[in-house]
Amino acid sequence: MRKNNLLKQLLTIAFVIIFFISFNLSIYALFTMRLANNFSDTSQAKMIDVGMYLPHNEESDLATIESSLKLKDNLPVLDGAAALVPVYASIIHNVYPKGCVTYDGGAFSDDNFYGENFAKDSKMQYKNTVRGYQAIVDGETDILFCATPSAEQKAYAEEKGVELVYVPVGLEGFVFFVNEKNPVENLTTQQVRDIYAGKYTNWSQVGGPNRVINPVTRLEGSGSQSAMNAFMGETKIAPKSPLAIAGGSIGFSFRYYMDGIVGNQDVKMLSLNGVYPSAENIQNGTYPIIAKFYAIYRADNENENIHILIDWLLSEEGQTLIEDTGYVRIK
Amino acid sequence: MKQKTYFNLLITVVVICLIFTIAHLIYAIKAYEHCSIIYFIAKELW
Repeated sequence: MRKNNLLKQLLTIAFVIIFFISFNLSIYALFTMRLANNFSDTSQAKMIDVGMYLPHNEESDLATIESSLKLKDNLPVLDGAAALVPVYASIIHNVYPKGCVTYDGGAFSDDNFYGENFAKDSKMQYKNTVRGYQAIVDGETDILFCATPSAEQKAYAEEKGVELVYVPVGLEGFVFFVNEKNPVENLTTQQVRDIYAGKYTNWSQVGGPNRVINPVTRLEGSGSQSAMNAFMGETKIAPKSPLAIAGGSIGFSFRYYMDGIVGNQDVKMLSLNGVYPSAENIQNGTYPIIAKFYAIYRADNENENIHILIDWLLSEEGQTLIEDTGYVRIK
Repeated sequence: MKQKTYFNLLITVVVICLIFTIAHLIYAIKAYEHCSIIYFIAKELW
């Protein structure tokens, strides 16, 4: 009798332990394992490896053209979104003199969130969208290369009494992507809106397998989230069910960032309304969601080279450079 | 095992397991806020 009781007690304790282990392992397999957070250098590299885009470096992956513009002094400090690092690094590479960029390596940490190992006087910086907008408003950067600002970013500039000038300098496709094994290849723009609005919650409702849809969003204020909010318009993004975590995800980004910079073979871009987001379809306007990206500067910035540089960027030479970096020309 | 000892042991085990589980969930939520969504979707099980 006593032995039976002891066995029961031990079994209960064992059951509790096994229950918690199973629960945690399930959460790990479905969720935690997939979280490559930005505190690790490997995942930062997936965001963008700035070291691959350093100007005046033979090993860098930058576009080179015969530029008629060569700036020598009063060099504007350039900063921007992760996706646009190849663009503004290529501008420096072709237009600025050697020695104007000082980069001390790519170690990432909590204090160095985006691998900001550029010296203070370096003419190339990398703060990404959210902090890049703060830097341009606070006067730390002369030209910021970014997508459309969020309402918060506009409000921050207004609050500080700063007028920003937005000059569109290139085009990019705003794309939706899924896991490579998801059989869905195409959605309509309305289906995408309905997915994020919570109307469609299962892939079978849009021609896919019977699996819950997990509509993934980004950090508010990031360039792609601002573009997504603009795409949704008046339609609100619905909160998703916690169970969606186990579903098949759909996410969004910009074409060249997906295809040219990250280049992850385990995800695929979706066609929208039957049109694939190729550079050609963005240029000819058949792809339905085309976003402009901007060169942004403070209206009260007196550095005349800002205007010279932006005028050049809109010239045939500058637009060729945009195209050669993998983006789509606006002119 | 005495009932009192058993309950104390059971409560200790549950509390320890809960602490680990909560820590795991807090880490996961924090990491999710900063994770690469491309990597997140690429690692999805199909």
